[in-house]
Amino acid sequence: MKAIRLSLTLAAATTLMLAAAQPAVAAQDPTGGKQTTYPGIPSSSLEKFGGEAGVAVWVDDLFYYILADNRINQIFLTHGKVKRQIALNKELEQMVLGGPVTYEGASMSAAHSDMGITLTQFNAVVEDAYLACDLARTPYTVCNQLIAALAPFERSIVTR
Amino acid sequence: MNRRNKIGAGVGRQLAVLAALLAVSGTASAGLYNDGKVLATGGVSMTDGAGGGGITPWATITGYETRDGINADLHYTYVHLPNYDLNSGGIAIGFFDRVELSYTNDSLPTGNTYDTVGLLTTTVNNLLTVGSTPANTLNTGIEPFNTTVRMNVFGAKIRLFGEAIYDSDNLIPQVAIGGFYKINNNKLLLKTLGADKSKDFEAYVSVTKIFFPLSTLINLTGRYTSANQTGLVGFGGPDGNHRSFRFEGSIAYLLNKGTAIGAEYQMHSDKLHNVNLNILGLTANTGNALLDPILNTVTGSTLRQRESDWRDAFIAFFPSKNLSITMAYAMLGNIVLSPHQDGYYISLQASF
Ligand code: HEM
Repeated sequence: MKAIRLSLTLAAATTLMLAAAQPAVAAQDPTGGKQTTYPGIPSSSLEKFGGEAGVAVWVDDLFYYILADNRINQIFLTHGKVKRQIALNKELEQMVLGGPVTYEGASMSAAHSDMGITLTQFNAVVEDAYLACDLARTPYTVCNQLIAALAPFERSIVTR
Repeated sequence: MNRRNKIGAGVGRQLAVLAALLAVSGTASAGLYNDGKVLATGGVSMTDGAGGGGITPWATITGYETRDGINADLHYTYVHLPNYDLNSGGIAIGFFDRVELSYTNDSLPTGNTYDTVGLLTTTVNNLLTVGSTPANTLNTGIEPFNTTVRMNVFGAKIRLFGEAIYDSDNLIPQVAIGGFYKINNNKLLLKTLGADKSKDFEAYVSVTKIFFPLSTLINLTGRYTSANQTGLVGFGGPDGNHRSFRFEGSIAYLLNKGTAIGAEYQMHSDKLHNVNLNILGLTANTGNALLDPILNTVTGSTLRQRESDWRDAFIAFFPSKNLSITMAYAMLGNIVLSPHQDGYYISLQASF
């Protein structure tokens, strides 16, 4: 009897845990303006990033590393839209840092929906993003402002 | 069979298990092996073997795996204090960034802390054997010059919800619950020290959040435990084994993608605080004219134990996903009979 009750309790606890394990926040796709973060991204961030020109350099550097990264470059090459991605990312990154720019591309969920991107692939892009900061001599603390602004897209981009 | 006999010692057996695990992880590497976490985000190994800081378990799951696979690490920590040296080594495996299993063996040569007690015990034993019946001799678990405390720690952790890294647009932290089962092999010594139990479990809940705009990680942990000095001095005291929640916290600042500095705090037990060493009959009146004056002197302040909360300040280097090196200044305060146990901590973690 005791054993049954114990296993019932365990089963209930496991169910609860699995329920709690579901994403706590419904996937949201904040592709419409400056990213909300806690604490907020300082108004000086875009300037410290080098303004529009600095972001453009960073995006070029990012795709330099992405295309050199054998873990993920085939995905980008087979889709063959790298030029468009570079242009749109230059808009997006300025916008999420609070720049006066409107992003004209697809939402993050729409752009990545049918690719089955894994978290491992997403993190590869994050590592390339840090390398791009190094190459552009963007200080790590400034780089983390952009990382904070892009990190929530994980919920829209990673579908596996 | 022959080969196993040759390996013999416990260390050999552990190495064999590790080799087997390595082989398994090697063959499974095609499908399940994963090292997709971003550098440093797997944390390091705390002294109980769980993924976390140096002394506090975090809500992060150990190893570099993402939800796509499995990763493991070997860890070795050496703490050098004025009167003690702690050696702690073990293995931990992270499954799908969801569940973590760990094993650690702590070994604590007590230096000269108990030498006086050990010599005293021997002296008392000699006197008792001469003076009365040999049956009265003491066994304190303390040998002069040769007392090592050993403890096995088994740990498990499950991440419940939250993404410490990706949820930068909300304040929901990553939350995990976990537990340790600790078996201290020095029963006699623990009895002498007044602890209620030599093996017990601990349960904890950890809450971790990375604030990227500040390049800062904060972890808060509540641990339900009755451990004295993490269990190295057993569990509970003369009043029994009453567990309670104790607070622990870590703060880490990321200097760059491969270096973190920070500090930790861990609340400790008062179960044995001000409890005297209980050497059978030593506190009582033995009626032995030779012994009593010695005992009265010694059982005063000399044998009174104390325990302090732990603190440390650390720097952790992550030269690659296969290696982390943590160095810390550990401020552990009073340990049993020795005050001012502040010293150096170095921890290596190899991930594969
Ligand atoms: C925070 C991380 C990421 C950001 C900010 C981002 C941003 C973008 C943007 C702005 C576009 C263009 C959308 C459009 O054409 O309208 C795009 C497309 C694309 N992204 Fe991402 N992305 C991210 C992560 C990833 C990852 C991890 C992968 C794969 C490993 C990936 C692969 C692609 C591909 C292949 C396309 C082109 C899709 C097509 O055929 O149109 N992205 N991304």
